[in-house]
Amino acid sequence: MEPLVRVRDLTKIYRLDGQQTAALREVDLDVSPGEFAAIAGPSGSGKSTLLHLIGGLDHPTSGEVWLEGQRIDHLDHNGLAELRLRKIGFVFQAYNLIPVLTALENAAFVLELRGAPRAAREGRARRALQDLGIGDLAARRPNQLSGGEQQRVAVARALAAQPRLILADEPTANLDGATGGALIDEMKRLNREQGVTFVVATHDPRLLERVGRIVHLEDGRVISA
Amino acid sequence: MLALAWRNAWRQRARSLAAMIAVTFVVWLGLAYFGVVAAARDGLYLNLTSSVGHIQVRTRDYRSVRDFRDALIPNAAALGRRIAAVLPQTEVAAALEVPALLAGEDRSRGMLLVGLAQSPTLRERFTARHLVKGRLPGPDEPDGIALGGGLARTLQVGIGDVVYAYAPGTEGAGASAYTVVGLLRFPEPTQDARAGVLSLPAAQELAAPGAASRFELHFPQFRRTTDDAALAPLSARLQEALGASVVVETWREAFPAVSQLEQLMRPLVMFFVGLFFVLAGLFVVNTIYLGVVERTREFGVVIALGARRGRVIRMVLAESLLLCGTGSVIGLALGLATVARLARGFSYPGLDEVMEQFGLPAVMYASIEPAEIAIILGFALATGVLAALWPARVAGRLAPVEAMRFVA
Repeated sequence: MEPLVRVRDLTKIYRLDGQQTAALREVDLDVSPGEFAAIAGPSGSGKSTLLHLIGGLDHPTSGEVWLEGQRIDHLDHNGLAELRLRKIGFVFQAYNLIPVLTALENAAFVLELRGAPRAAREGRARRALQDLGIGDLAARRPNQLSGGEQQRVAVARALAAQPRLILADEPTANLDGATGGALIDEMKRLNREQGVTFVVATHDPRLLERVGRIVHLEDGRVISA
Repeated sequence: MLALAWRNAWRQRARSLAAMIAVTFVVWLGLAYFGVVAAARDGLYLNLTSSVGHIQVRTRDYRSVRDFRDALIPNAAALGRRIAAVLPQTEVAAALEVPALLAGEDRSRGMLLVGLAQSPTLRERFTARHLVKGRLPGPDEPDGIALGGGLARTLQVGIGDVVYAYAPGTEGAGASAYTVVGLLRFPEPTQDARAGVLSLPAAQELAAPGAASRFELHFPQFRRTTDDAALAPLSARLQEALGASVVVETWREAFPAVSQLEQLMRPLVMFFVGLFFVLAGLFVVNTIYLGVVERTREFGVVIALGARRGRVIRMVLAESLLLCGTGSVIGLALGLATVARLARGFSYPGLDEVMEQFGLPAVMYASIEPAEIAIILGFALATGVLAALWPARVAGRLAPVEAMRFVA
């Protein structure tokens, strides 16, 4: 089976004040459709950078990134935006909801960017919120929600768009044990029931215990996959 | 997108309100300014055309002739009848202007005697505007004269006194005595100090039997400069009917300086209104740019979720246009209400004489053209777009990863 994500010889070097720092060095990685993979490693190991490159949020210094058989590392700003819009869902550590939108509007936001009709996008967003157990919070704004609820809205935003791949960057880092555990349960359920592929950057042991595969990074290199 | 833009625009209420009020104020000011200037323009037009007519008929090349006799239209009565036949609905006045020396008992002065033959309506209007004491000489009165107040003071004469006019080198009697029957007031000091009015037959007897210097055609229905477009065809028709021995000119051709001043008013207003909008635009730029900077992280998220550069630019543009649009709607309502109020008539208390000296009536009436409203709204739209350009460019060029790390 062709991998959903294929990364080859991926290197990312940041240049700051004349100094070069390698965040990733010659990383190879394949992620199959329907996998629930975690990228683990200490802070600064390159987890987020790898996630950003897979998600088309940044360009690598060298190497290749393929998604569903399409090479994406050379796409321009708008090409990557279109790719993210159509194929990738994101869940961020800091939730990153839009404060002036309600939970329902946040969950429907990606669909709105795609130009989906109001009824269709709200219907799918409402179902996503209900799937995550927060259907009754649809009218609330982010500042009226707890951290766990906000992160569920963020997952709902990713889910409502029905992407092929969801990239989650430390999704449980800001959540307490019970809330984080519940969110992991939901993500696992969605992976199992809806076949959504998850790639999660984390060093949360609760999450690492539950994933199907762990890719260990250290100093920007894959030390085990 | 509009709902999002609207909510974002009001996240910093005080700042957005200040920008919106600036646009409201400038739209209101622009409309009121256009209205007041239109009032001045129309007042100037009304005053001028009331005095000299909308169309004048003179001898050809009257501007270049030096000799008094060369500036005369012979057989004025016949020409008057031809004018009335071509444009029967017109109020017509014939005037004979005679440079003369006028003397009282002790003093004398070079002045301009104007023999007037006016329709009853024009005579009534002239009386109402200029007569301050006594009466006007009758239409055929041979020896009555009304003097400008300044001239009467110079000659030290009043009503009932006799004055003597000398007009040498003319084809009439050349000298005559008149009794002062009225005192006039002209807003223009030179005219007030030099003009005297008598009947046309009296002036003709003095200087040019049967002749006139000019005919004035008044069109009472043309009360605003915007009505003026209809004048040129009438003028052309009259010129064709009267032939090449006379020249028919609209007031714009006869008084090009006033016409240029009138035509300069709207561009001047547009220039100043444009400046006001630039100032308001700076408020809007400030509001929108700070909004973009403060929401850099959010824009990063929006871009990360898949918004193309154009979409981000449109989001910023929408905020700016909503602010300017709301301000414009309120400003439009206030501005039109102000113009409607001023359209009922307004004056500058205590400045009546100053107004007169500038050829303006004491009471003026504001008005506004749809094109002027469109200009103001165009300025507001341009402000909304231009104010958003730079902030939109900044937002559109954000890199998602860096933007999401941004801390304001």
